Amino acid sequence: MSGALGAGVDRARLELRMLLRSPRELWAQILGMVVVVVVAGRLADQAAPGGSVPMAWYVVSGFVAASLFFAGMLNVPQMVVAERDDGTVLRMRTLRGGLTAYLVGKLLFCAAVTVATVVGTLIAGTLATGMPLPSTVGDVAVLAWVVLLGFTAVTLLGAAIGTVLPNAREGMMYALLPAGVLFAISGVMFPVTAMPAAVQAVADAFPLKWMAQGIRAALLPDAALARQGTDGWQLPVVAAVLAAWCAVGALLAPLMLRRMARRESGSRLSARREAAEQKAAVVGR
Amino acid sequence: MTASPAPTGPAVEIRDLRMRYGDRDVLRGVELEIQRGECLALLGPNGAGKTTTIEVLEGFRHRSDGHVRVLGEDPATASEAWRARLGIVIQQWRDHGRFRPLELLEHLRRFYDDPRGAAETLELVGLGDQATQPAGKLSGGQRRRLDVAMAILGRPDLLLLDEPTGGFDPAARHDFHELLRRLVSEEEVTVLLTTHDLAEAERLADRIAILVDGRVVRDATAGELAASLGREAEVRWRDERGRHAVRTEDPNRFVRELPIDVEDLEVRRATLEDVYLRTVREDEVTA
Ligand SMILES: Nc1ncnc2c1ncn2[C@@H]1O[C@H](COP(=O)(O)OP(=O)(O)OP(=O)(O)O)[C@@H](O)[C@H]1O
Ligand SMILES: [Mg+2]
Repeated sequence: MSGALGAGVDRARLELRMLLRSPRELWAQILGMVVVVVVAGRLADQAAPGGSVPMAWYVVSGFVAASLFFAGMLNVPQMVVAERDDGTVLRMRTLRGGLTAYLVGKLLFCAAVTVATVVGTLIAGTLATGMPLPSTVGDVAVLAWVVLLGFTAVTLLGAAIGTVLPNAREGMMYALLPAGVLFAISGVMFPVTAMPAAVQAVADAFPLKWMAQGIRAALLPDAALARQGTDGWQLPVVAAVLAAWCAVGALLAPLMLRRMARRESGSRLSARREAAEQKAAVVGR
Repeated sequence: MTASPAPTGPAVEIRDLRMRYGDRDVLRGVELEIQRGECLALLGPNGAGKTTTIEVLEGFRHRSDGHVRVLGEDPATASEAWRARLGIVIQQWRDHGRFRPLELLEHLRRFYDDPRGAAETLELVGLGDQATQPAGKLSGGQRRRLDVAMAILGRPDLLLLDEPTGGFDPAARHDFHELLRRLVSEEEVTVLLTTHDLAEAERLADRIAILVDGRVVRDATAGELAASLGREAEVRWRDERGRHAVRTEDPNRFVRELPIDVEDLEVRRATLEDVYLRTVREDEVTA
């Protein structure tokens, strides 16, 4: 087992190195931070309605939550589908402990990218809006555990979703739609208080809303609570919901990855590739 | 580490292997045995079931029925330790496209107890010059050589190669044959490969099996296969009435009895290709 873990760490290291070697992918990662600077910078002077906290700070805090969420719900499934279809998953299956190494490698790689993104977004946001970085031990600790739990939950869920997507191109559509809806109803940028109860209940059931709230708790002054419409930051609820989703993901992801890998074979790869090529030819015409 | 079964008995044992997809029978009672240290080429037309057979041996596909043992274990239930003793080349890998060959092999070495060196393995397959070029940017033949490199990295006991030389240029093909022969003779690796290149089968394989429509219809050494056509040869010539081609058991006598004034006289011994074509056609007629 330690061999598989070591190999997983090695995979994460290699993937990070490849990311750093590839200017295009690196730019895709940095783009989010550029958007923060531009959007939040333009709002820098406006106070959010009904409070003293600048709107821009909400945007920075919302961007941290959103980048966590979309990395997990879109990038991770896309990676899993792409690596299923190019045979990487099948190759790992032919190795002793290969699938464990694959999962560990993916998690560590995504974790490293996430930490870099969060830190980068915070720094970019602070520079653009003058929002203070979390300075008390308590705030830093809240930020750390919310990011850790939120990252784990959405990454594992994303991996599980990836295993059932038909192919990379259509897969994105299937993943984007629910993620977009969830984003719209979860009040990621600004807390939403005027939602129909049914919609509110849906948002409450998923991790995104709670990630956003937890991150606001760490980044924004307590004056921001006024807009929240709740007594406090509800950190125990945040922790409970995120932990529950982590548990679901931890159960589901390895199970579904193994199931997917078990069903892979050389001829399935070829069949899917031929189908994709045919489709591409039809579309191209 | 689990103890590997004593190296006795055949490396591969297939009896009455059946595979059906829905209501279609793809394998209809395949019988095949490969002894340890033997190299067997599996030939057959497109769709005959070669890939299916290999995937059953790899444990990637679960057979519908029949008895299969690979290195003493049933692939359907065998452990990951068992799989570490196989080297596999499937018909179309494209995995790890962003990895560089050298770093990929260095990474994969972690999964084996006693792997070859990464650089050494790349040299073996003639990829030394592409060691740091991303795998996705290799040419088709170079990529295939990388697949072979990954298959032999862990010093496997059994190589399962599905059309390993597809896309190889003649020189690469020649080098690959040398490499395989060396593995078989020096390290006693057992090899099962499929190919559509009959010359390749003839040059490499100790034995040749021909799979047609889900059944092994011939299984013999290359020499035996040629001999099975007897001394039969094809005699071709041209005269004032046009071109002629006649198959005969005794080409010497036949030629002696031809009229003096024939032109473009040619005597062709039966080749593996003749055996193959005849076998495949006969079977298709009876099927
Ligand atoms: N998953 C599947 N479902 C249904 N039919 C399948 C499936 N996989 C393979 N087949 C069919 O089984 C038959 C044997 O396929 P297989 O890939 O084993 O042939 P092959 O001998 O390897 O051919 P080739 O020389 O083209 O590689 C084919 O007719 C193919 O269409
Ligand atoms: Mg095939």
